[in-house]
Amino acid sequence: MNNRGNGTCLTDLEDGHTAIIISVMGGKMLTKRLADLGITSGTVVKVIRKTLFSGPVQVEVAGSRLVLGWGLASKIMVELK
Amino acid sequence: MSDEKKINIVLAGQGNSGKSTVFNYLTGLHQHIGNWAGKTIEKREGTLFYKDYTIDVLDLPGIYSLTTYSEEEVISREHIIHQNPDCVINIIDSTNLERSLIFTLQLLELECPVILAVNMTDLAKKKGITINFKKLQGILNAPVVQTVASRGRGLTRIIDKVIELKGEKTGHKVHRYGKEIESCIRQLSELLKDFDLPYPVRWVAIKLLEKDNDISRFVRGMSPEALEKAGQLIENLEEIHGHDSAVVIADERSHTSSRITRETVKITSNRKLSINDRLDALTTQKSTGYLFMILILGGMFLSVFSFGNWLSGLLDSVFREWHAWWNLNLGTAFLSALGWSAVESVLALIQIAFPYILPFYVILYLLEDWGYIARISFLMDRLMHKMGIHGKGCISFIIGFGCNVPGCLSCRIMESKRERFITAVLVTLVPCSAVSVIVFGLVGKYVGIWWALGLYLFALAVIFIAGKISSRLLLGEPVELIMAMPDYKSPHLKTILYQTWDSLKEFVFIAAPIVIISGVVIQAINLAGWMPAISSFMSPVTVTWLGLPAITGILLIFGILRKELILVMLAAYLGTTSFSDVLTSQQMITLAIVSMFYIPCVATISVLWKEYGWKKAMAICVLEIGFAILLAGIVNRLLNFVF
Repeated sequence: MNNRGNGTCLTDLEDGHTAIIISVMGGKMLTKRLADLGITSGTVVKVIRKTLFSGPVQVEVAGSRLVLGWGLASKIMVELK
Repeated sequence: MSDEKKINIVLAGQGNSGKSTVFNYLTGLHQHIGNWAGKTIEKREGTLFYKDYTIDVLDLPGIYSLTTYSEEEVISREHIIHQNPDCVINIIDSTNLERSLIFTLQLLELECPVILAVNMTDLAKKKGITINFKKLQGILNAPVVQTVASRGRGLTRIIDKVIELKGEKTGHKVHRYGKEIESCIRQLSELLKDFDLPYPVRWVAIKLLEKDNDISRFVRGMSPEALEKAGQLIENLEEIHGHDSAVVIADERSHTSSRITRETVKITSNRKLSINDRLDALTTQKSTGYLFMILILGGMFLSVFSFGNWLSGLLDSVFREWHAWWNLNLGTAFLSALGWSAVESVLALIQIAFPYILPFYVILYLLEDWGYIARISFLMDRLMHKMGIHGKGCISFIIGFGCNVPGCLSCRIMESKRERFITAVLVTLVPCSAVSVIVFGLVGKYVGIWWALGLYLFALAVIFIAGKISSRLLLGEPVELIMAMPDYKSPHLKTILYQTWDSLKEFVFIAAPIVIISGVVIQAINLAGWMPAISSFMSPVTVTWLGLPAITGILLIFGILRKELILVMLAAYLGTTSFSDVLTSQQMITLAIVSMFYIPCVATISVLWKEYGWKKAMAICVLEIGFAILLAGIVNRLLNFVF
């Protein structure tokens, strides 16, 4: 359902999974915004926790934690590590 | 004073880096908080007197980047470039070096003197993070100072460094991009170098490649060739990388910062779960997170309201004595009564500010400093999204339950103008503590507590639907939540008190003028004896449509000043506090619903006016009056089936 093409996106992962970001399927503004926060292709992310239904996702990037809205997290394509 | 002894410094950094703590420590009580010209963004300035130097400190907004994504970023960038501060102090969260350095790299590109204050080194140590400061200093070629701002450690060392560096030419190492990008920068710099640019040439070249709107517009007027060249280079870059050029550059910066972090940071992680992890799990997990949220917020409201009611009652009896004294010594003639209404407005403001808003802010900032507020945004994001805003908006609602004024002010944390406005409109519908007085004092006491709680649920449903409608009506994409999740840390009392004091001051300054003026005007109308005429003029609405006594027309006018006045005046006009003698249950519920929604009080209107302009403020008032009357009338008819 959340798969875009045949890739996996961040929201498909389970709590505790670690993955590498392959690409961000957003517009320029969003992609740049995320890159300014250190989230870009090649970055390792760990899903700490998801919330009920389609709530935001709490992730760990470079040793610190971020919360990303569901819509945004579903645009981040990843590969399970 | 000679210029030699005057220094201008700027504090820059991301949110949660401890920037405000540093600012408060340095400037203490010599602070001035205003707004950036023409903007609703707070401008915090202060002065520090140190070793015969007068040091002006400016606290820039907490930002993650220096692009033109948000107003805060533009303001910060323009200030650093045009005001030429003697030094920019970049405050960095040492537990989060990698992300912080991305911002540092952008600062260094501006070629201004930068000192890095690597803050919260005590927390880093606890987390097993060791930073090689010497190496970091070497790589960036900028002074690095370790600080623990909450204890004031390292802060004088920063200032000593600032004084030491004053007037010296800085030679920070600007970080190099990959080969292709560097070649583009070189070609553009060549074209730009002969123009008299107010910005560093290399920085302009980078910004052109990033397609920065402001800079592109600026260069177009100066050197169209450079802009054209940039266009070609961008096309070329995008072909090689298959990405937007701005993203390519941001990516490289991000990779550079992770490389620097790898070279300077060693983490000896202790595998066992820390207290922070456990607490985080407990407060954000699906199973326990919501329960904790209800407990914490419930406890907060309960303690604020019980403290508030106690203190407010105490103040009330004191102020009543003052009123008696006033009447005794100055009489109750027109002018004297008018004078008292001005005094009374001020007293009323005090009666809200100290018993309710003060403890509310203390607890709120306590929760924020502890790290809990971000957890609420996380848990509530999904629900908030249905109203077209994201999780952070929930905080404004929570504040709004205490008082709509700080609730509306807090909407500034929303990123886009659209969301700021939607959140503010919804906050005006949140039943504040004054409305609670009516709901519980009238409906809760005489109709039943379940009816009162039902009215609260009803209000929440109205807010939810209003959110859905307004997010449809106001065009624009909803902004997604991106938020740093801070670690829990022990709250720092001084920071909390500073923040509370600032917010309380702001509340009084914004609210006072309009509250006093409108208080006097309405009292003048009353003393002139025009109220009966007004209430009979309003009777088609109040009596015919809403089924209320004609007197409520006057009450609703007084209620604009402060909503609890509706109840106070009701008692005064009817000469009794046992309301069940004069109002039926049905009338009480109808009156409570009108009071909840019919208009934001004057203090809230003045905030809306200040933040969004008078047109929008008036539009909200007119819309809400119409809506409340319509809604209460319908409910009144439906209640015919119940009572």
